[in-house]
Amino acid sequence: MTVYGPRGHRAGVVSFTYGDIHPHDIATILDQDGVCIRAGHHCTQPLMRRLNVPATARASFYLYNELGDVAALAGSLVKAGALFGYVPA
Amino acid sequence: MDTSPPEPRLSALYQELILDHYRRPRNKGALEGATHSVSLNNPLCGDEIDLQLRVDADVIRDVRFIGRGCSISQASASMMTQLLKDRTVPQALTLAARMSAMMQGDESAAKDKSLGDLRALAGVSKFPVRIKCALLPWNALTDAVKP
Repeated sequence: MTVYGPRGHRAGVVSFTYGDIHPHDIATILDQDGVCIRAGHHCTQPLMRRLNVPATARASFYLYNELGDVAALAGSLVKAGALFGYVPA
Repeated sequence: MDTSPPEPRLSALYQELILDHYRRPRNKGALEGATHSVSLNNPLCGDEIDLQLRVDADVIRDVRFIGRGCSISQASASMMTQLLKDRTVPQALTLAARMSAMMQGDESAAKDKSLGDLRALAGVSKFPVRIKCALLPWNALTDAVKP
């Protein structure tokens, strides 16, 4: 998994890619678990080209999120990894 | 953490055959001597396809594609090119109509052997926002052979 953005001074907005799983595939898989993320260019097509990625997935956390939501995101990502053969099913 | 196995609907969507076409696309690359070509993209999701055909006497002699996008759009393009070789243009348009019917949930289309590997994409019909991904290459085909 690759996380994009500054190393320090991070906000609760995490853009990432996971192997060769297209971000829209990631979003569909997470959506089935009720985990809502954004996937796509995020209105930054030149940056996507510069990063040489088709798109990124992006999870954002705010006041209404709890630690359980983080666990749900992680669990769903494991599921995505299993479907695409990155982790044992 | 929820480590339960993937839901049946998801495993129906991401079948091995689809992932195989995504990772090892057939007929990918430029086609020399193309007579028809169309570039289509979905600006909302960024999926792109450049479809090139060599049509001779109304028969599709060869077809290749260049593209990038999600597993659904790329697998659909790869499977489509496999199916189109040596078909007449009207036959190709009939297949496009069957594919579209399958995406609308038509179960007879989902069992239609003429769709070949594409039947693996039948599960996409349960994911309305992804139907456009599966149909992108077919829309390119329809545009390309339009008289």
